[in-house]
Amino acid sequence: MGLVRKTASTEPEEVVPPEPSVETLLQQVQDTDPELRREAALSLVEVAEAVPVLLARVGVETEARVRDAVLTTLAAHDTATVAAGLAVHLASDEAGLRTAVAEALATMPRSAPDLMPDLLAAPDHDVRVMTAMILADLPHPDAKTWLLRMIAEDPHPNVVTGAIDALLPAADAGDVPVLQAAVARFPDDPFLRFTVQAALPRLTGTA
Amino acid sequence: MTSTSTGGALSDADFERFTEYFYKRTGIHFTSAKRYFVDKRIDTCIRNSPYETFLTWFAALRMADRTDMLQQVINELTVNETYFLREDYQFDAMLSTVLPGVLAARGGVSRMVGPLKILSLPCSTGEEPYSIALRLLEEWDQIDHVDVEIHGADIDSEVLAKAAHASYGERSLQRVPKAWVNKYFTSVGSGRYQVDEGIRSAVTLHKMNICDTAAMKAFRDFDVIFCRNVLIYFDELSSRRAAENLYGALRPGGYLFLGHSESMSRISPIFTPTRLPEGIVYQRPTGAT
Amino acid sequence: MTRVLVVDDAATVRLYHTSLLREAGFDVAEAANGLEAVEAAMSTPYDLFVVDVNMPKMNGYACVETLRSETVGTAAPVLMISTEDRPGDADRAYQAGANLYMVKPVDAERLVRVATMLTAGKGPAA
Repeated sequence: MGLVRKTASTEPEEVVPPEPSVETLLQQVQDTDPELRREAALSLVEVAEAVPVLLARVGVETEARVRDAVLTTLAAHDTATVAAGLAVHLASDEAGLRTAVAEALATMPRSAPDLMPDLLAAPDHDVRVMTAMILADLPHPDAKTWLLRMIAEDPHPNVVTGAIDALLPAADAGDVPVLQAAVARFPDDPFLRFTVQAALPRLTGTA
Repeated sequence: MTSTSTGGALSDADFERFTEYFYKRTGIHFTSAKRYFVDKRIDTCIRNSPYETFLTWFAALRMADRTDMLQQVINELTVNETYFLREDYQFDAMLSTVLPGVLAARGGVSRMVGPLKILSLPCSTGEEPYSIALRLLEEWDQIDHVDVEIHGADIDSEVLAKAAHASYGERSLQRVPKAWVNKYFTSVGSGRYQVDEGIRSAVTLHKMNICDTAAMKAFRDFDVIFCRNVLIYFDELSSRRAAENLYGALRPGGYLFLGHSESMSRISPIFTPTRLPEGIVYQRPTGAT
Repeated sequence: MTRVLVVDDAATVRLYHTSLLREAGFDVAEAANGLEAVEAAMSTPYDLFVVDVNMPKMNGYACVETLRSETVGTAAPVLMISTEDRPGDADRAYQAGANLYMVKPVDAERLVRVATMLTAGKGPAA
């Protein structure tokens, strides 16, 4: 009783359980045990051949914590295939899925930018709202340019307000005309008017 | 100040290159806000190496993939300021609420199978795991009835060597009651005190990168993990992976303590927050998974 | 004073809702995602939650479910405000435990009126 040293710790080296083969892990990703699926998804980090299986898992996975693990591993790939495979879920009716996918895409600065022309032109305005959410966090020099374009051109007020929210942390005095034009485009949107008015003093103060 | 490659300051491009590489290897991301700190520490590494310029040093680091060089950079760039009984209220929470909860969940003292396992990650120079040991020995009424394993882990081999030696100055020990110092430490001169062999040998130390999923599988079935003031240094993906690895290291229902200013709410939703009188602690859910 | 927690990842939306509710006499705090809201609700009893749907880490539905579960266990009214207006969204909100579901943008008067109604008995300012 009391403090005891780890049993079988006479040798200082770590006893790491042998890693299952990639084939085994790919099967485990589809196991009925969610914890096995979660661990397998995490273990498949940097395994390119696992991408198709993991991408297929994103849409069907019912356990949020397994889906998070799948997305953590996929996002690290940051390739066009992964980005395109994730972007289809931005239109999902399931809030947990579309927000989790948007979060993952926001950590993919190499591949997410190539999706922007299509996403900015998506017919579903809910997809464009999610796109503004991605751009809010995407560490990419063009993020601001795309947001300004959404604010200037998007026909849906909720997309424009989402883009304004994403833009403001990086906005400066030069962006004031675009913001004012947005207010003029949607004169009946009280939130948009309030937001721009609240932001103006800070923006013009930095001129 | 002029910035030449040997003048102690990196060019913007070199800084970018280095921080990108360092992030990929360790999951630790330095923004330009840490520029001065990074520049100085890298200068130290270059001076301690056979290379004369950043470029030759960096090429050797990258191309030869020398783990000893990488280890040295990690040691220079990770902060290890700590002292005994730091953020002590969390140890209060462990004693008063968490451990009774763990024992109950594991069927009570008499029916518990296997030891109670506590992990300190990162453990730095050992103050945290030894603090846990001291508080258990002095203040936990079940310590004579339960086997407790304490593990400490860190990515930095130098701090682990210090943790193994376990000798501390007065500043580090200032919050430890005098009676405890007399009871569990031996004076080794120059105002330094070494933790007694009995406690040192009971704490198992490991070299570990919290973002390394394969290596983290060595950690299983922990009842309590302290992971304080490290996730804040990680970027989004690395902190998520670290959180997921910690989840795997915990027993279902096990408890995770983060640092005072940290919250899982910006990292990952996989844990269940639990409100204790001393603050919020996170639990691996016991449910279907 | 009636305490309201405004939960939205968009800082501009939080500012808007918070300003309107404060002006009407409510005591308002903010959270930037569902998990923050859950943690906040564990420390402070709120009389009303105003919750967005699309949020990182924990979306609005999951947030409301957790607020209603034994993890938090609050019976306080929840108003969900979303940019989404797909069929089925409102049902999803009510299933999760929301008391009312509205689509953005919500004008000032309506927000205050609904918040007052949902906290009836508590009322905004004394």
